[in-house]
Amino acid sequence: MGLAPQYLKAAVGSFGPRASVLPDRERSREGVSVDRSHLAAYARVCGFAVDDVLPPTYPHVLAFPLQVELMADRAFPLPLPGLVHIRNTITVHRGIDAAEPLDVRVHAERFVAHPKGAQVDLVARVDAGGEPVWLGRSTYLARGATAPAADGDPAPAPPPGVSGGALAAVWRVDGGTGRRYAGVSGDVNPIHLHPLTARAFGFPRAIAHGMWTAGRALAALQGRLPAALTYDVAFGKPLLLPSTVELHAAPAGDGWNLDVRRRVGAVHLTATVRP
Amino acid sequence: MPETRKAAVIGGNRIPFARANGAYARASNLDMLTATLDGLAARFGLAGERIGEVAGGAVLKHSRDRDLTREAVLGSTLSPSTPAYDVQQACGTGLETAVLVANKIALGQIESGVAAGVDTASDAPVALNDDLRRVLMELNGARSLGARLKALRGLRPGQIVPEVPRNAEPRTGLSMGEHAALTALEWHVGREEQDELTVASHRNLAAAYDRGFFDDLVTPYLGLSRDQNLRPDTSVEKLAKLKPVFGKGEGATMTAGNSTPLTDGAAAVLLGSDEWAAQHRLPVLAHLVDAETAAVDFVLGSDGLLTAPLYAVPRLLERNGLTLGDFDFYEIHEAFASTVLATLKAWEDPAFAKERLGLDAPLGAIDRAKLNVAGSSLATGHPFAATGGRIVATLAKLLHEKGSVGGRKSRGLISICAAGGQGVVAILEGN
Repeated sequence: MGLAPQYLKAAVGSFGPRASVLPDRERSREGVSVDRSHLAAYARVCGFAVDDVLPPTYPHVLAFPLQVELMADRAFPLPLPGLVHIRNTITVHRGIDAAEPLDVRVHAERFVAHPKGAQVDLVARVDAGGEPVWLGRSTYLARGATAPAADGDPAPAPPPGVSGGALAAVWRVDGGTGRRYAGVSGDVNPIHLHPLTARAFGFPRAIAHGMWTAGRALAALQGRLPAALTYDVAFGKPLLLPSTVELHAAPAGDGWNLDVRRRVGAVHLTATVRP
Repeated sequence: MPETRKAAVIGGNRIPFARANGAYARASNLDMLTATLDGLAARFGLAGERIGEVAGGAVLKHSRDRDLTREAVLGSTLSPSTPAYDVQQACGTGLETAVLVANKIALGQIESGVAAGVDTASDAPVALNDDLRRVLMELNGARSLGARLKALRGLRPGQIVPEVPRNAEPRTGLSMGEHAALTALEWHVGREEQDELTVASHRNLAAAYDRGFFDDLVTPYLGLSRDQNLRPDTSVEKLAKLKPVFGKGEGATMTAGNSTPLTDGAAAVLLGSDEWAAQHRLPVLAHLVDAETAAVDFVLGSDGLLTAPLYAVPRLLERNGLTLGDFDFYEIHEAFASTVLATLKAWEDPAFAKERLGLDAPLGAIDRAKLNVAGSSLATGHPFAATGGRIVATLAKLLHEKGSVGGRKSRGLISICAAGGQGVVAILEGN
């Protein structure tokens, strides 16, 4: 699943005039069948068990190529290189079996001003057997870009994270994590691949994909998750590779509050899981 | 402490068994065992439930799979306050876990338990070359630069070749099949009878699937809903075309068809006290009455590697005041067709009874129509530690279906041979 050509096209196309409003179009793939070896590879990289039920974060990688197609197009108002993933909300309506053919649809909406620039939501919907089973909303920020002011609050309050000492795990995240996740997600953004390519974009080292961190955190709750859930994640400071970070998890009602952070200092992710 | 009681077999769950490098090529023992426990929990409403214990195990294990069963419990929907431990007794592992759990239930130490087993031949542990490992251990322990350099001088190019697990006995260097071929020769087990037993296993398994027998025993996994090795249309004519793979020359009769293939899979059985089952509104299919494990000296003695059940069964029968004919079902694990046939011949043999078992008369012949009636390892495949769980759940359901026989409870005998010259056998009684 190499999206490198798309990135290249987007990089070249990032110069020159762009549209100022969102294109009113949708990208879709009908009857997508899950490749079980790809699913197993994804599960291994993120720490999920190899199973028939898709990890809640897996459909994101099915929708991701369509997102990139939409964003790499010159009709998209923000340049793909430099977009920062700041928020991701996934709702799983029911457990999705790997054998089910899936219809994947992606569109963009809510192109509004953000205190630091402009933000946009890429919304992916997955249907199985004619009914919606999965919804993903990925919010990206383009620093310094301009967009119309939002009607209301542009972003709901971020998940609270975990207060106190609910340490669930210490992860030693190695330097190859970005390359491995790029291999299973198709997200070959150079900031994740190597210290040198990351430095070209202003990062001191390569950084982990937010969706890897989000997947890894959810995988840590294996066996304790409801089949239907909403997983709301706000991404904080970039997780530089390699790093040793902590996962904190605390039960909250029938769900969980989570965060991933360094022992002292940076919070990389705060999240909630709600049934 | 309550008096001893018979542990109830409440039900089972397994995933279909897959041929090595087949449907489960990418799944680990941990993945398969966790999925199997989750399936069991789903079937019997045990999500979030604290179970007395889970005993499980695998024969081929990575060094990272320390306390594999506990890890599987932690990743499953069972309550994390369920304790677990690993057992390893070659192909006897699965049945031995059931015996251990049943004994604790019998003593009143626990009210419920899960016996499980899993094995993968696809994701088998490949270890560092042992010479290289020794060099690295020495290097790790070296305190000075000189000592480190000395350790490094032990490095050789050939050490890049890893240690691959072999299906061979460490002390004899013979594979299980080669050992079984020796026993087949000793008992004059013919090619045709082996192929006939193989066909029966496939037909019985196919028929059991067709009548829905496995609907509440098997949960589909990774796209597989039946055992991948099952060939309903196999025949003696087709099997006759295969070349022998174990043994040599004229007397070689064992083929890839009448031997079990390397297989991936997992199985679990739910056991409990009758009271616990009633409280949870769960059925009791059968009770585990008694069990016996035997071992033989296959290295320097005159017994075959897979012949320990020959000794275990007579001891078990005597202790329970039963004869070999007193059973409605016989589940004799089909490691190889020849193993089952040699076992039956030995039990029929007066000389063996007298000289080896010290009995006046042989155990006798069994009614072959009662043997492995829902298929066995030749058809399902044999993921070593998973076979015991498969057989216990299958037999418990067969006994439950049978009901009572002439005013007594239906009765079944399980016999599982294992590498290392061991064998685990057990009696189940229908409920």
